[in-house]
Amino acid sequence: MATAVDFVERVNQIDGVAGCLLVNSDGTLLGKTLDNPEVYSTLLQVTSGLSGEIMSNVGFSYCRYISFNRFNMQNFYVFPIDKFLLGVVQQADCSVSAMLERVYQLIGKVSTSEAGNIS
Amino acid sequence: MIHLIDELKVIPGVIGASIVSFREGLKVANFPSIFKPERLSVVGKHLLKLYSAGRMSFDDLSDLTLNFDESVVVARELEKGMLLFAICDPTFNQNLLTMSLNLLHEEYKLGNFSDVTIPADVTPGVKSVEPSIPIEQKISASLQDLLLAMKEALSKILGPMAGFIFDEAVEEWLELGPPDFVRIEALIELINQEIAETDKVDSYRQLISPVLKDFQKG
Repeated sequence: MATAVDFVERVNQIDGVAGCLLVNSDGTLLGKTLDNPEVYSTLLQVTSGLSGEIMSNVGFSYCRYISFNRFNMQNFYVFPIDKFLLGVVQQADCSVSAMLERVYQLIGKVSTSEAGNIS
Repeated sequence: MIHLIDELKVIPGVIGASIVSFREGLKVANFPSIFKPERLSVVGKHLLKLYSAGRMSFDDLSDLTLNFDESVVVARELEKGMLLFAICDPTFNQNLLTMSLNLLHEEYKLGNFSDVTIPADVTPGVKSVEPSIPIEQKISASLQDLLLAMKEALSKILGPMAGFIFDEAVEEWLELGPPDFVRIEALIELINQEIAETDKVDSYRQLISPVLKDFQKG
């Protein structure tokens, strides 16, 4: 069974990922490869709540990810994974679609049965 | 303003678009009738909050994209408190939409879309927008100071979203009656509903009690 830290490190190895972090739904930081996770952890929680509200209001069924698109191209992505939230910072010069596909593939391969453990 | 979003709707994959003001709600929309104006207004306000939260972390935020299984929501802030969003088919051309948003945003900033036009046949049930008096002009200076102190106290309870939640509560409070201190408990009740958690409601009351007493003393 891989820990959340292992999962974060595997995400971080994907081409195009500049850094990432994983938090619990209560905001607890479980793993990070970013220097300043506090900048992102609150945003992850706020994003999760509001995207859920939007989803229920429009009648959508599942949120794959939310993207904060920046002019410097270092976009920030939020992936809801069950009761966890994965935040990914993109490298400015990368194939975004390939990077997102690989992150999403990795997310699809893990289960989240225990907090802090991703198998 | 309707021209702004009609230009987006011709892009392949764009189901519809809308402009939402935080204070005035839905201004224009060209979605199919299955998208109810009330819902679109709520969605727009949530997107504004999300945009604001993102702006706190990223000074150079351009757009938001929310990728759902069925659709993609793309949002761009036109000015503070005013947001344009489009709902698209997942196969939409994001580069084309982004380029169009950039062009239309430039035109908006030049004032080419400052008029408010809401064709009834396009957005049934959407109220026309009446010119509103800025909140600051409705509220006395002393009460403004009190509200500012209450807003700061709320930030200690709710964190970065406190500003938006407080402004929204004040907006609703003003719609229900005059901005008078005798109605301050009604405002606090609206804020408490947003806080939701009893222990945090109690903490907020403790924080604002001294400023309420000071205000009463004059």
